[in-house]
Amino acid sequence: MLTKQPAGFNLSWTQRRKLTGLLFVMPTVAFVTVFFIIPLIMTVYMSLHDWPLFGERAYIGWENYQELSNDRQYLKSLDFTFRYTVLVTPPIFILGFILASLVRHNIRYIGIFRTIFFLPVVIGLGVSSLLWVWMLDDRIGVFNKILLDLNLVPKAQLFLGRPNTTMNVIILSVVWKTVGFTMILLLAGLQSIPDELYESAEVDGAGYFRKLFYITLPLMRRFIALALILSVIGSVLSFDQFYIMTRGGPRNSTISIVFWIFNNSFTYFKMGYGAAMSIVLLGILVALTGLQLYVLREKE
Amino acid sequence: MSIRKSFLLVLTIVICLGALSAAAQDDEVNMTMWVRSIPFQTQALVDQWNANNDSQIELTVIPSGEFVTKMGAAIAAGEPPDIASIDLIYTPAFAAAGQLVDITEWVRQLPYVDDLTPAHMELGMYEGRNYAVPTGVDGSFIVYNIDLFEQAGLDPENPPSTWDEMLEAMRAIDALGDDIYGYWFSMACAGCNAFTFLPFIWASGGDVLSDDYSEATITTDPTVGEALAFYNTIWEEGLVPEGASIDNGSNFVSAFTGGNIGMAGMGNFAIPLFTNDHPDLNFGVFHIPGKEGGAASFGGGDVIAIASGSAHVEEAWRFIEWTMSDEAQIEIYAANGQIPVRLALEDNKYFEGDERQRTAASALRVGHTPYTTVYNDLFNDPNGPWLEMLQVAILDGDIEGALDLGQERFTQIMEG
Repeated sequence: MLTKQPAGFNLSWTQRRKLTGLLFVMPTVAFVTVFFIIPLIMTVYMSLHDWPLFGERAYIGWENYQELSNDRQYLKSLDFTFRYTVLVTPPIFILGFILASLVRHNIRYIGIFRTIFFLPVVIGLGVSSLLWVWMLDDRIGVFNKILLDLNLVPKAQLFLGRPNTTMNVIILSVVWKTVGFTMILLLAGLQSIPDELYESAEVDGAGYFRKLFYITLPLMRRFIALALILSVIGSVLSFDQFYIMTRGGPRNSTISIVFWIFNNSFTYFKMGYGAAMSIVLLGILVALTGLQLYVLREKE
Repeated sequence: MSIRKSFLLVLTIVICLGALSAAAQDDEVNMTMWVRSIPFQTQALVDQWNANNDSQIELTVIPSGEFVTKMGAAIAAGEPPDIASIDLIYTPAFAAAGQLVDITEWVRQLPYVDDLTPAHMELGMYEGRNYAVPTGVDGSFIVYNIDLFEQAGLDPENPPSTWDEMLEAMRAIDALGDDIYGYWFSMACAGCNAFTFLPFIWASGGDVLSDDYSEATITTDPTVGEALAFYNTIWEEGLVPEGASIDNGSNFVSAFTGGNIGMAGMGNFAIPLFTNDHPDLNFGVFHIPGKEGGAASFGGGDVIAIASGSAHVEEAWRFIEWTMSDEAQIEIYAANGQIPVRLALEDNKYFEGDERQRTAASALRVGHTPYTTVYNDLFNDPNGPWLEMLQVAILDGDIEGALDLGQERFTQIMEG
């Protein structure tokens, strides 16, 4: 509240309230303007130009957008990114839910387990990707050591050498890295449900699955929506794990859409084209998020 | 990192650099110089210069992978460094965009102009004018393990000089044991193979680009397919460790230091590492041979240029000219195991006792570098056509398919 005012600076209570509110949101507005709105406008502007890293830039209208439909790798990358998203989301969710259920009640030492499950979230994705590259290595990696010692494989495996195994181990690494975050979101949802509901359901003779489908899941709708949206956005925008673990290989089979944008902008120096792809991706994400919010809306 | 974040990052860096260079504009001549993070003697050069001259140079080392992006951003912001040590393959692109100062008149007056490494001189030219001169030069060659050669009954004094001789040597070494292999290549590293595999094609009289660099000759030049078949044989017969197929270059140098690899493509940059960190490694060096003989090398490294807009063009040239002097080339370059940029200086007091360094230096006599403004897209990009073609041909064994694929994607990129 504004307690002291200069003389002659008379504001009504309502005006003061409004001003206070405005001052409170100003930092956010400024932040969003500088780091989102302005770059977004610049990106749109760039996307309408032939914009090399150095040399002359030229206005070309919608040409960058028209070129997209002829870009085979762009379509391949879209396909790959959505395939990856569809494959990686269920394990994160199911495992996240199981972990959240396991650490739900405040019993002794439960904090230790919550911490262990959450720990991978606090290291960066870049660091975790490097860590996994080492663990998956055919000569010094711990996975091959274990598999060889247990005689499960005849010789060291090149996990990142074939498209199928590559996808699987990357999903494994990402689930390990992100499941803790989903766990925390779902844990908050689980703990927001009053115990009385379960108790009365038990009195009525409801079993585990009935309670799950008629109490737990419906009441967690908002938390599920939040976790799902964050997880899907994260997967559609994935870059680090592919850039570090595979460099898009083997045989260019793991080039995600952001990876392709990065390549065009900073390897081929086609900044305008990269900007156009970014705008299209933004549109796709807005649509996807809208769809998820619609499906998971609170039904009155 | 999203585009937006990267863009902001670049923007921030540009602003910071702008502030820095503004602060540096004092009364005396202060120049800025950028170099990418490679182990050339640039810092030693700058220190020596600063100690003996009124004009001072402030050197900034930029991570190699980000050099061109940052240079481009700095140019766009109107604040490029005065002097830039640039990976030679990018020089045509920078010169074509009008970002480098034309130094033709000065270069022509150099008494040793015809003795400067030819690949680097060619890449430093654009439309008949000189924009850059060699500064950090390196050529590719083959290193071989003398101990393994002896154990396998091969004569280390007469290393292989054809592809068949190389294959025979690899087979003999490979037979020494389960953990011993004839060869090493990093088949998930695009740049490594431009450096060490292209010369096999060149030494046989072929190329992947036409003489005027205007079109791809992958399907029309039979040597390309033959060289791919040569490497495919190495892979099929298990003469390289299986992990070589997915090595992204992190083991490009270190694989050979294990002592269980018979031969590997290498550059001079690795020699000081081998001799200092692995004194037990008994190795020799020979030029990359063609199918039936001959020799070729990929001329790699950096050229040095003055950026357009520099306020100290003459002083910058004075520095550049000094870097090529006997004093700098022998007492800084050769003394530290770096190859001199003047061919005649391969005979110097520091290389005298070491045949390997002389051979490494002389590789640049047969050095060649593709001249194209889209080098990065064609050869260096880990997702580009060069590496994909190699992998499909060598690892999958589909040589015909790889050639068609390479020809198509090269042409697509070169036509823009």
